[in-house]
Amino acid sequence: MSKFKKNEGKSAPAINTSSLPDIVFMLLFFFMVATTTKDIDPMVRINNATGVGLTDLTPYKQRSEVDFVYLGKPIVGDASKFDKGVAVQYDGILGNIDKIDEWKSDKYTQKPKGFATPKEKVVTCFKVDEQVPVGILFDAKKELQNADFNTIAYHAAERGNNKGYSIDNN
Amino acid sequence: MSKREIPEINAGSMADIAFLLLIFFLVTTTMDKDAGYLRQIPKKLDIEMEKPPKVEEKNIYEIKINDRQEMFVRDSILPVEEIDNLHRRIKHFFLANRGKSAGERKLNYPYYANITRQVIDGGLAQVNAEIERIEAEMERDPSDYWGQYYELQMNKLSEWEKKQRAFDLYSESGATIMPEIAREAHIRIVPQIATDYSAFIAIQSEIQRAITEMRDEESMKLFNIKYSTMEKFYEQNKNEDMPTILPLYKERLELLKILFPEKIIEVAPKN
Repeated sequence: MSKFKKNEGKSAPAINTSSLPDIVFMLLFFFMVATTTKDIDPMVRINNATGVGLTDLTPYKQRSEVDFVYLGKPIVGDASKFDKGVAVQYDGILGNIDKIDEWKSDKYTQKPKGFATPKEKVVTCFKVDEQVPVGILFDAKKELQNADFNTIAYHAAERGNNKGYSIDNN
Repeated sequence: MSKREIPEINAGSMADIAFLLLIFFLVTTTMDKDAGYLRQIPKKLDIEMEKPPKVEEKNIYEIKINDRQEMFVRDSILPVEEIDNLHRRIKHFFLANRGKSAGERKLNYPYYANITRQVIDGGLAQVNAEIERIEAEMERDPSDYWGQYYELQMNKLSEWEKKQRAFDLYSESGATIMPEIAREAHIRIVPQIATDYSAFIAIQSEIQRAITEMRDEESMKLFNIKYSTMEKFYEQNKNEDMPTILPLYKERLELLKILFPEKIIEVAPKN
């Protein structure tokens, strides 16, 4: 009596997946454009300080005019082995801050051929955990000054619009 | 020849390949941008200076911060909650005497000099005369004695030339006087050894904000485009071949940097 046919025994039609690669490629391209390659694995824990009006370092990076140095508590191992409990990561090695001029000089000699930027214009970017005391940065600045590397950058993350600065005042 | 049909290529595994690539990029890249505050370290001196030159109190904007992140700015305490206002106070420090005549300017803020065409021509003539004199001296006395002095004068010359270019650009709108802030006027950060990096960065951020805002406002007035927009464009396309727009932007940026110089001294904390 019913008008509707029961189609038992018939399987559901296969879903057309031919556009799946297109979707995935779109995702792929998004990530390729929106991200930058990670050059090294972090060995120190870093919570970024926040600020506004930052200078984007990407153009400097593309011209390989910037070297990054990381300061913070080590992820593995004992923090008390380092000066003031702050480990300094030079590429793959942890050390103290007084090695910074040697490391910079090594980096400068390893720059690709045809690299014409003078020594004092090559940026040293400090990526520092927000709770590191600044005294150590001034030690680093003194070493760099003596080795004629005169440009530095203090790394920070962009501050959200309605959020304040992340200062811990106790 | 018989017509042969080309069999369709099975693209079912295309998605798998794309997924593999996608996951590879997800793992090897990071989202966060590298950004920061660019600063200059002063060149090292060969000669030990006995006494630093005295700077008048009115030309210093001092920001002291201790190891509990408490701030003392110029002549008053600034609570941490109000650090967002610091950039307004810095702007006031820079702009208090801008465009004021000698009678109405405030005594404890940096003075402005009125740069005119005559001032620049006079300065250039003086430096050029000095250079000629040294060159004559160097010919008589080829020892190293005059070398450093010569270099100093050459630096002065390039500074005056820079100022001349800036003035040319500034006076295009019909102005005959370019206000220039006192040379010594600067911002001084005095931290302690145990001051947190986050608080230090907050101060740097407020300083940057103040200076960028002042340059932006002036730039909108003069060229109807923001300073930060031009700077970003210039930094990204520095090495490209754009013979009209790049030199123009460069000159404009230089002018704005002369009008609102970014002079920051970070005093090393004592033990």
